[in-house]
Order: sequence, then structure tokens, then C-alpha cells
Amino acid sequence: MSRVLIVEDDAVTSAEISAALREHGFAVEHVCDGRQGLLRAAAEEFEAIVLDRLLPGGLDGLGVLTAMRAAGVETPVLILSALSGVDERVRGLRAGGDDYLSKPFEAIELTARLDALLRRRARATTGSGQETRLRIGDLEMDLLKHSVTRGARSVDLLPREYALLEHLMQHAGEVVTRTMLFEAVWNYRYDERTNVIDVHISRLRRKVDAPGEAPLLHTVRGAGYVLRAPE
Amino acid sequence: MSSVHLSDIRRTTSFRLAVLFLAVFGAAGAMLIGYLYWQTAGYLSSRVDAALAEQTARWSLFDAEKLLRELNGHTARDPASREPYGLFSATGRSVAGAIDNVRLVREFDRPFDFSLNGPDGKPQPLRGMAHVLDDGRVLLLTRDVSSVREFDELMVRAIASGAALILVMGLLGAVALGFGAKRRIDAITRSIERIVDGHLSERLPLGGSNDDVDHLAVLVNRMLGEIERLMGEVKGVCDDVAHDLRTPLTRLLAGLERAERGGLGVQEYSELIRNASEEARALLRTFRALLRVSEIENGARRAGFTTVDLSRVAADVVEFYEPVAEERQVTLSITAPAGPVWLQGDGQLLFEAVSNLVDNALKFTPTGGRVAVQASRSEDEVSLVVRDNGSGIPLDEREAVFRRFYRSEKSRHAPGNGLGLSLVAAVAKLHKLTVELHDAEPGCEVVMRGEA
Repeated sequence: MSRVLIVEDDAVTSAEISAALREHGFAVEHVCDGRQGLLRAAAEEFEAIVLDRLLPGGLDGLGVLTAMRAAGVETPVLILSALSGVDERVRGLRAGGDDYLSKPFEAIELTARLDALLRRRARATTGSGQETRLRIGDLEMDLLKHSVTRGARSVDLLPREYALLEHLMQHAGEVVTRTMLFEAVWNYRYDERTNVIDVHISRLRRKVDAPGEAPLLHTVRGAGYVLRAPE
Repeated sequence: MSSVHLSDIRRTTSFRLAVLFLAVFGAAGAMLIGYLYWQTAGYLSSRVDAALAEQTARWSLFDAEKLLRELNGHTARDPASREPYGLFSATGRSVAGAIDNVRLVREFDRPFDFSLNGPDGKPQPLRGMAHVLDDGRVLLLTRDVSSVREFDELMVRAIASGAALILVMGLLGAVALGFGAKRRIDAITRSIERIVDGHLSERLPLGGSNDDVDHLAVLVNRMLGEIERLMGEVKGVCDDVAHDLRTPLTRLLAGLERAERGGLGVQEYSELIRNASEEARALLRTFRALLRVSEIENGARRAGFTTVDLSRVAADVVEFYEPVAEERQVTLSITAPAGPVWLQGDGQLLFEAVSNLVDNALKFTPTGGRVAVQASRSEDEVSLVVRDNGSGIPLDEREAVFRRFYRSEKSRHAPGNGLGLSLVAAVAKLHKLTVELHDAEPGCEVVMRGEA
């Protein structure tokens, strides 16, 4: 079970986050201020840290992050903040954060992003991710030829659809939220207008899951999408 | 109006400045007049001295007999003794002339001042010069200097009274200036007190003379205008928020109350919970959008500006919305110049703003319509136009659509939170772009325009 450290001063928020993460299958530890957060992060082994940007006392989220990275702690950090500015996000990522989520957020967005962080780390340590072919069930993507086939059928995709499918295939089996997709595929970030992504997805779905074929691209209600091989 | 105390006036800057100028001007004037006086008076007495010296030199050359004759002649011509002369023996006895007292002679061969009682009994100022003749006798010649003395006195009196006049006038002027300044400051103070009391529409009074205080007042008034506008906006936003959030909150509460009453099946409960969380999510989204608008409006984000290609952003938006347009059977097209359209800005926000415009245009364009996006650049201007041939925006609503939560009658049932154009306006303002709404006949044309 993955252990996650939550550094958050607001009792209600931290209780909610803890509950959501436990439900998702994480073991959760919680501290209320930056000093303790830094001490525990340095002393113990965590798979990921959820760090509030604004913390009481002398050491705020960015301070904890900077000190942690300076001390050589490489645990992935997801920053939570009520400050939603792009500058804020850039500052957080520059200080060594791995992802940034602005409050208020939905639990599913947090767990999906944590999953992505953990997998990214796992991929980085095993050295995989260098494949030239991605395969989910009978769906196959050739990264060199930029071609996609499903069984014997060739799937013709527009460049953006290809990028979308590639991201989903890279994260096969994981829930990918609309904002994550938008960030990864369009290189813009914003939290609204999810229905437009849905239209892109349904277009992609029509091409990937032809009538009569076992569906691979699934909608996760209230969250996003997952590309999964049939059971 | 409150009474003005002299001590208050004394403390005003104008009064102090006026007094300072008075002092400086007075000192300079005193120096000038003093110099003139010294020069004029010196000239007059030096003329007298030169005449005395010349006459002394001439007369000392006379022989005894001629000298006596001249002396007696002079005495006879001057019966009133206005310029009495004297000739004394070596022992000091009077030999001739109107002056018989040798002790009046204070020194020799140099002019000196003394006075004699004239015939009218008044002391008469004289300037004299004494010389010891070759035979040991003493010759005393004089000049009447009463007119020189009178001139002196006149001049001193004139200077003194002039100085007194200047002093009085200057002080009066200073008091008047101080009084005026005090009255203005009082008026301004009263205005400020009213503003502090919450009357934000109050403005500082202007003196009308366009002086430095007026300039300051105009500036402060402009600031007050901006503050008033912002306060009004904040109040408007609060009202709008309160009004617009009441509906979803009421719906949320109604659902929860139904669940509370109980007696429902599992299916119904889960339906209620799903509806409630959907409402709550929508509320959160609205809040987030609201926060973003105000965050952008406060302008702090300009720090993150980079050089952005506006036509690239527009192309991204069009590409992003292309499937939506296709689904609605609306033609979505873009025209852009060959090269990039550079703009100092935040690509993220520009994308969002253009997205909102395109989203709106698609929403209000009927099936078979078209939406055209156009990025362009001229020598000193960049612009972005989103044009549709939908139903358009009535003239009287063109201002209002930029307000938060504003929804026209037509759009009341279309999805959205009424914040889209507020965000566009905020982003445009941050980028120093203007936003105009035009009638595209039919349809609507939104033009964002700014300096390149």
C-alpha cells in the first residue's frame, strides 16, 4: 500500500483528503505544519506528499518544498493551493513540485493526479516508457510510424486525436481527468470547459471503438476517462 | 463655515512662504536703498568738500590786504551769516569775518562739520575748512550744508516710511494668502472627512486656478472615481453572487430536505445524492470562475507575461472547438496573417478569453451558420475578431454582457454561468486590449484590439 503524507493545516480539508485517499487505497499520514512536514518527509519513506501551499508558522509550502529538495528528498510532491494563478503554479513547479492543484478541487482529480505521479515515478525507476509500440488489447500504436491499428483494421486519426490516444495509452488503466488531458495534449491549462474535451473524446471513441468491438475507451463518471483492455 | 483664527493662518504654508519672501525682499530692498543713499549723500558732501578745498587753496595765495578785502566783501554780501567765514591771528584773536571764535576750528586742511546758531536762533549745520596762512594767521572758510542735511533726512524718512509700508502690505498679503489657503485646506479637509464617513461620491473642491493644489485635487478625485467604481463593482458582484447562487443552493437544499424526510428507496437516495453533488460541483465551478475573474482583474498576473503569438492562440482555440462546431453543424474558420502576431501576454489567459468568445459564438449561432475567427496585425496594432451570423446582441445589452453573471433573456436557458464575457473583459484589460461589440448584421462581432 502506498504511503502518502498530507501536510495541510485546515482540519476539515485534511480529513476530507485523508478519507478520499484512504478510500482510494492509500495509507495516509497527516501533519498540520511545515516544520513537522519537513521532518517526517526527510525521516520516513513516502510514495508521495500532498503539500498545502499556505501553511501557518514560519515555513510555508514552498519553503518546505525547497528545503526538502535541498536535503535530497525526491518524493513526488503535489501542491495544493487556494492561489490559482499561473505564476503560482509555475513557482510551485520550479521549487520542485511535481504537480499543482488549485482549491477547490474534486477528490477524484486529486487521486487521479496522485496515481499519475506514482506511475510516472515507477516508470522512471524501471526505465520503461521507451517503447516504440503501445498496445492495449488489440489496439496498437506505432510511435515511430505514427500509425494506429485495431486488430486488422487501420485507424485513421487526426494529429490531435493521435496525441490524445497516445496520452491515454501511455496511461492505460489509469483514470485521466479532463484537465489532465487538456494539460497534456493541448498544453494549456484551465479547469473549466470540460464538455469540449468530451466532444474530442467521443470523436476519438467512434474511431477506436467501432460498432461490434469490445469498448476500450471508458468514461469514468464525474472524473474523466480510462483506456482499459477488456477483461 | 468655521471661523479662522489668526494662529491657524500663521501655521499655513502660504503665510509662512509669504513672510519668508517678505523678509528676503525686505533685506534685498534695504541693501539696494542703503547703497543708493550712501552713494548720493557721499556725492553731495564730496562736492561741498571739493569746493571748500579749492577756495581755501585760492584764498591762501592772496596777500594780507586782498584777503581782508575779500573777507569783508563776503561778510557784507552775507548779512544773514549763512556761510560765515573767519580770520584769526596766530594767537587766536578774531581779525575779520562773521566767526569770532577760533575754538570752532577742530582741525586744519581737512573738512569738518560744526554748527552755529543762525540769526533765527536755530542751529545751522556748516562744513568748514581751516588753513594756517604763511604769516601764521588762521583762515576758516565754510559752506552751508543745511540743504544736504535736509536731503539726507528726507531720504531716510522716505526709506523708513516705504519700508514700513512694504512691511504692512506684505504682512497683510501674507495673512490674505494664509487665509485663502486655510479656507481651501478647510474645504478639502471637510470633503475628506465626508469621504472617510463613507460618502464616496464626494470629490475634493477645486480652486479653479489650475494651480498645484488643483492638480493634486484633480489627481485625488480621479483616484476617488476609480475607488468608487471598484467599490460599486464589488457591491454589484456581491449582489450578483448572492442572487445567482441562491437558485442552485435552494435546489440543493430542497433535494437534501427531501432525503431528510426519508421513506425513499435506495435508487431514489442515490439519485438525490448525485443531484446534490452535481449542484455543489456547479457551485464550486462558479466560485472558481469568479475567483479567476477577480484574480485576473487585479492585474497581478502581468508578471508572468511573455511574448505570445496571438494567431497561434486563435488557431489552437479553433482547433479545440472544431469538433464542437462540427457537432452543431456550424462552420468554424480562421484567417490569420502569414507570420506570427506577437503580443506581450499570458497565452493561457488569451486562450481562455478567445475560447469564451468562440464558445459564445457557437452557442448563439443556429445550425448551418458560421463563426469566423480572424487574427490580424498592422504596423502598430494587433487585433482579434470573432464574428458569427447568429442572433446578435441587442444594442442596449452590449455594455451589460460584460457584467458578471449577466445573462440576456435569450441565453438564460443556455448552459453557462454568465461569467464568460466578464473573464474576456478582465483578460483584455490585463493585456491593455479594448473589447468592442459590433452588429455583424446579422450576428455579432467581437473585436479585441491593442497596441502591437
